[in-house]
Amino acid sequence: MSSKNTRDRAKAKRIVQEQLARERRRQVTLWTTVGVVAVLVIAGLIGWGVAAGQESNKTANLTTPSVAVDEGTAFAVGTGPVTVDIYEDFMCPHCEEFETSAATTIDQLVTANKVTVRYHPIAILDDASTTEYSTRSAAASAAAAQGGKFAEYHKALFANQPEEGSAGLDNAKLIELGKSVGLTDATFTDAVNDGTYDAWATKATDTAASRGVNGTPTVLVAGKTLASPTAQALTTAVEAAGT
Amino acid sequence: METGQSARTTAAWPWISTAARLGLAAVWLVAGGLKVGDLAASGRAVNAYQLFPYEVAKAIGAAQPFLEIALGLLLLAGLAVRLSAGISAGLLVIFIAGIVSAWARGLQIDCGCFSSGGELGAGQTPQYAWEIARDAGFLMLAGILLCRPRTRYSIDSVLMGEA
Repeated sequence: MSSKNTRDRAKAKRIVQEQLARERRRQVTLWTTVGVVAVLVIAGLIGWGVAAGQESNKTANLTTPSVAVDEGTAFAVGTGPVTVDIYEDFMCPHCEEFETSAATTIDQLVTANKVTVRYHPIAILDDASTTEYSTRSAAASAAAAQGGKFAEYHKALFANQPEEGSAGLDNAKLIELGKSVGLTDATFTDAVNDGTYDAWATKATDTAASRGVNGTPTVLVAGKTLASPTAQALTTAVEAAGT
Repeated sequence: METGQSARTTAAWPWISTAARLGLAAVWLVAGGLKVGDLAASGRAVNAYQLFPYEVAKAIGAAQPFLEIALGLLLLAGLAVRLSAGISAGLLVIFIAGIVSAWARGLQIDCGCFSSGGELGAGQTPQYAWEIARDAGFLMLAGILLCRPRTRYSIDSVLMGEA
């Protein structure tokens, strides 16, 4: 009799302990779940906040070059009836290839007064250099445009394109290239050294992305994107748009 | 013999799960870490999928690297492993769906999984099949953890009193 009592008590005790353990595990699961969800929500919000902060930092002191067209994002070359938009990053090897192969065609179209080329320098490859060369070179090209030498400086930048993964061209070199195309005044030099148009380059890149430009080179003729940007495709599209 | 075998398998599971947990943690930490440096680029990578308006893509691109790092840290610590694995699996399914949709629409993009992604230049071929296979592999790690969330060296095991 007494031995049965002892067994029952032990059994009851075990059941209570198991219940307590279950309850404990339930509590742990509940609170860790709440914790994980809170951590993830907070992480997402931090990202949002950091990005917004970076954007307002990078576009603070925005100076838009007065010569820029198309909502202040591009520099026009030529005055022909067909609009050609070219989005390029001075760090992008495929842009350099396009420039090399299509420069003659573009020059001819401009000279024949068939097209207005709107060059959009954008900076999507800051990762490809250790000094954010994409942004600095786009900004320098804006300074060159302000000095009336965009087309020439643009060619000089592609002719001297740095290797991907390198430090890019330093400011002294950017200024030297400016001198070589006739940008000899202090305005250009100061703009490069002070990064006057860096914020503008970031803003122009953002505007391009909002228009769905996600890569370079992107070439649009009369508002239509060329599937494959080549000199031949450009000529064909301009002919089609001009008639 | 039979029972010996199954006992050994039972004993092995926490170790297999631990490996899966640490592997998945590394995946998230690396993926998030590579993107967190340039949030604007991360936003452009999302935008390249052409699934969201730019403002929405920017917000997703900004939140995503931090979310990935947070998930990585949670898995590394082993806190709420089953839930973290479930959320990981959900994210991976979304990523795979995104890549499939980019492929189906013939977009020429990099998935932006471990980089700032974006459109590919002329002459570059998208690696969609490889990207999907890779994400499916990660999904399998998450699957292991969903089924067997008990792991060694985890905060969960300490809290549950199994250490």
